[in-house]
Amino acid sequence: MTTAVEADTRTLIAVRGLKKHFPIKEGALQRVTGHVQAVDEVSFDIEKGQTLGLVGESGCGKTTLGRLVAGLSEPTAGGVYFDLGPQEKIELDRLMASDAERAEFDDEHRVDLLKGDAWRRFRRNTQMVFQDSFASLNPRQLVKDIVGRPLRVHREASGTALVERVVELLEQVGLGRQHLYRYPHQFSGGQRQRISIARALALDPGLVVLDEPSSALDVSVQAQILNLLHDLQADRGLTYLFITHDLSVVRHMADQIVVMYLGRVSERAPTDDLFAAPRHPYTEALLRASPDLDADGDEDGFQGLEGSVPDPARPPQGCRFHTRCVYATRVCGWEIDDVVLRLEETPGLFDRLEDVERRSPFDAELRFESEQAARTLVSTFQNEAPEPMRDALEDMTVEGRTVAIRFNPVPEVELTSRGTDHEAACVLEDFGSN
Amino acid sequence: MTSAAVEPTPTAAPAASVIASVRDLRVHFRTKAGIVHAVDGVNFDIRNGETLGLVGETGCGKSVTARSFLQLVPMPPGIPVSGSILFRPRNPCPDCLGEGCSACDRTGRVSSPCPACSGEGCQHCDQTGLETIDLLDLPDQQLRDIRGDRIAMIFQDPGKALNPALSVRDQLGEVFFTHRSAELLDAAGIDPDTQSVTGRMIRRKANMRSRGVENLALAIPPLRDRRVALASAADGMVAAALAETQIPNPMSVMDRFPHELSGGMKQRVMIAQALACNPDLLIADEPTTALDVTVQARIIELISQLQERYRTAVLYISHDLSLVKRVCDRTAVMYAGQIVEVGDSDQIFHDPEHPYTQGLIEAIPSTNRERGRLEAIEGTVPELIEPESACRFAGRCPHTAPVCTTHDPVLEPIGEDRLVACFIHNPPATVPTEQLPRPDGRLL
Amino acid sequence: MDVTERLPIPPAPPSESALRVRARRAGELTANVLSNPTTLTGLIIILLMISMALLAPWITVPNTPDPTQMPRDWGAIAVPPGSPGHPLGTTNTGGDVLYGVIWGARTSLRLSLIVVSITVTVGVAIGSLAGFLGGRIDEILMRIVDVFLSIPELIFALAIAAVLGPSFRNIILALAVVFWVKYARIMRAQVIHVKQNEYVDAARVIGDAPLRIFGKDILPNSITPVIVQATLDMGNIVLVGATLSFIGLAEAGLAEWGVLVSEGQAGISAGRWWASTFPGMMVFLWALAFNLLGDGLRDVLDPRTETSR
Repeated sequence: MTTAVEADTRTLIAVRGLKKHFPIKEGALQRVTGHVQAVDEVSFDIEKGQTLGLVGESGCGKTTLGRLVAGLSEPTAGGVYFDLGPQEKIELDRLMASDAERAEFDDEHRVDLLKGDAWRRFRRNTQMVFQDSFASLNPRQLVKDIVGRPLRVHREASGTALVERVVELLEQVGLGRQHLYRYPHQFSGGQRQRISIARALALDPGLVVLDEPSSALDVSVQAQILNLLHDLQADRGLTYLFITHDLSVVRHMADQIVVMYLGRVSERAPTDDLFAAPRHPYTEALLRASPDLDADGDEDGFQGLEGSVPDPARPPQGCRFHTRCVYATRVCGWEIDDVVLRLEETPGLFDRLEDVERRSPFDAELRFESEQAARTLVSTFQNEAPEPMRDALEDMTVEGRTVAIRFNPVPEVELTSRGTDHEAACVLEDFGSN
Repeated sequence: MTSAAVEPTPTAAPAASVIASVRDLRVHFRTKAGIVHAVDGVNFDIRNGETLGLVGETGCGKSVTARSFLQLVPMPPGIPVSGSILFRPRNPCPDCLGEGCSACDRTGRVSSPCPACSGEGCQHCDQTGLETIDLLDLPDQQLRDIRGDRIAMIFQDPGKALNPALSVRDQLGEVFFTHRSAELLDAAGIDPDTQSVTGRMIRRKANMRSRGVENLALAIPPLRDRRVALASAADGMVAAALAETQIPNPMSVMDRFPHELSGGMKQRVMIAQALACNPDLLIADEPTTALDVTVQARIIELISQLQERYRTAVLYISHDLSLVKRVCDRTAVMYAGQIVEVGDSDQIFHDPEHPYTQGLIEAIPSTNRERGRLEAIEGTVPELIEPESACRFAGRCPHTAPVCTTHDPVLEPIGEDRLVACFIHNPPATVPTEQLPRPDGRLL
Repeated sequence: MDVTERLPIPPAPPSESALRVRARRAGELTANVLSNPTTLTGLIIILLMISMALLAPWITVPNTPDPTQMPRDWGAIAVPPGSPGHPLGTTNTGGDVLYGVIWGARTSLRLSLIVVSITVTVGVAIGSLAGFLGGRIDEILMRIVDVFLSIPELIFALAIAAVLGPSFRNIILALAVVFWVKYARIMRAQVIHVKQNEYVDAARVIGDAPLRIFGKDILPNSITPVIVQATLDMGNIVLVGATLSFIGLAEAGLAEWGVLVSEGQAGISAGRWWASTFPGMMVFLWALAFNLLGDGLRDVLDPRTETSR
């Protein structure tokens, strides 16, 4: 195929402008009323032999992203590209500007468009281990059939040869011949996860997508699985996409980390850099909220985030994190939704809101039941809204029962460089703690 | 069970400051394969105002222990074998009437003397002289009075613990109607001692004991007004309870149903419900496991703030050691149905004495651990079906000696305020030295 | 509270094989079924009924030329049970009740087996198609199912049988048209549910073909409720079939329980209870037995509860 020298410089997976939007259907006719932006404009590379950690809280799109990389789901836009040489990668980045010109390139390299031998090569090369070891093993199949299935599908072995290959795989994950003829429900969670790993390794893949492989396990068992994954990587030169919500695990496992929030990448950096000096306020918040066993008595550092994750069908403008960010500035994307959110939290006022007429996410007229309510809004806003939000305001005028509000329009915040291999999507070069 | 000596656990703290003691608790389960000894001889104390962490892995019996406090373990398949959970309820301090004074350590609450011996100390009150209730031996009615009032519980999954058919208002209101009807009547301006027919009816309403026809009568004036007054009094208390948990705009949250709230919000409602009656003991069973870390951190802050304010004792059950270290004053480590180590959290985590605790701590990926070299505990948790008299960790312990497979170690004190169940620290005198575990340099 | 979660695996015997494991599992399943007294009762009744049906030509003298027709003994009209040659008595037209009861079992077995195999095949096929493919196809198939479901079973079957004309074959046809819908619904719901399991994704990641994924992962894990429903329907179909023949939609003189009950009903007021009672009891027992077995299977066939040792 490719020479060894060239193989080292090839990019195993290149994710470019990746979007996955799920339609929200409502009513008897199942009309599409909106889209959940599970993954939105995500780009990164996975280099051979490294572990890329994908971190974020529930609903940030990390699992959807993992499924896209594993070829289990088709992107709405952009794509996941498999095995690119240096020239091809440059070509791809050049072609990203136009969908039409990229069509030919896509047909050859985009995983969801691959056909025939190219598809089989990708399929053999990219495997996945799921979080729920119970749901990911067919309860009616024996371990022999579960682990041997990939070999059978790709016609690699059959009969006794297949059994021997399966035993070999089981031994590599710390199980053995005595487990061949057992059903998954006869195993503990850790052992089931080992079976999953054995199955993923059967075709000798290059990349394994690990979707929270140890989250459902107890610490002592988790340690066994993490050690196993580490040893397997060292032995076989595996590449991992390690998806987790657990920062201490990802810190232990990953070379590079991608932090996601609400479908977007908020920060990407080498592990040590990320933990030493987070350059996105969300990363910092995550670090502060995660208890570390080795951290000593630093009680002030431990704190959570205000508010809740916004609706992914209507992600905030500007920076998606601005609604909860303690460092938010006037250019972070303050919008009408922020005013409505504050209204909801102000006793008595939200009930008197009759209608919101939006001209843009930043510009709207709010109509209240009474003139007095409209005035209350303005005065509460002026007294209680955070300062950056007030600064972002261009216009707020009361006319009878309606309040016209207009904010400074702000574009989405892009990832910008913060040093070698370090990117963050924040308008601030430096914030509070740095 | 050679080791099943039913003797009070030695405690460094005086009994007076202990809100609840678990003594030799044994809960077994009947399964197809045999009797599973899920909880097998558990002893520990919860002190006034402290947070005691109960950590252990899946199936170690921590949840069963916690649920035993309120008799929430389903029987059958559960079998209550033995043990007692002694609870010392606290009442408003007579000196300050609950305001908080020096006599009651500013908690506003004190324990009452034992009615059996009037403070002399007897068998009934475990020689403490304080009013003591055995929670495992309590009739249903009394248990209901204690549940949600003196002892409250928060569960792991707030989505399942809240009734999906009730609004937040009704969910929380129920607690006040059950345990605080007198205060409700008072707040509604209704004379609690009135003997008139209508008075009794409204009183029954306040106790949630109204029947069909009465409800009809309560829907028409003049009773209707009083019912409305009662309802608005309850609303006031509900709103106050919600505000305590820093829920923004409690009035609008009250009308929502659980499915309309986020996970963190639901857990706040649960906490508001649990702390509504200012309980003496809060049992938190993995309260943040289902939540994201940033939300978890907020919930934990909230629990500790409220605990500080009301000086509620908390039994905090979790599998997450880093969290327990952060949250709890003292920690008890459970393994296979027994407690293997109890002590001050800082000490336990800095200087674990039991090999299992050591193994657990080594297994956690943290800043100081090299990649791929986590010290996993080899093997799996032993079968708890009719276990032999042996240390249950013996099969996985790096220090196992002959004695470990023939005797079952009991929790014994080592040093101040520290209990360990291990023969390394407490070798039995009757066993020859060559059968004892070799004291490893690090261990002693 | 999950105390069974951590039970370790017992050491495997050295000479283990897939066949043996599956045989042992089947054995455990059977033992589980048999350990429940009500299920066992159902099973025993069913076995008795089936052997009666299969052995009918040997335990009675088959009527010639057509053994499915009642033999007429014009010399012993409406004799009570215990009469010589007619242990269960005869009908108004001299039909031997015992013969009807025994050959009726044969007719019922034939009816239920044919109807269940047709309906299960059709229902599973349509339900799987709808659930597995989803989208427009699902939408169309399910609307058809809705139309069928909007008409009550019995009335629908009655209407079809009436249009086709009175014959036992038409009863079979009518029941087949009516009963497949349930299976389509059950199967579709199961497939949609099972499809979401991660082992289906795992099979896709391996690169297995959709049809094989369906055969290996989806079908075996969805079929349990269908089997349970089919068992229950083995009873229900006989009940509905007997109702149809009772109101005259089968050939007159057929050795069938419903026909027999209808023949005997005129005599009840005159105190000749036996001609209706015995076949009626058979219908009742048949339906009861299959319901008992079906309920028992439901508890046992779930892979998570079975052999959770």
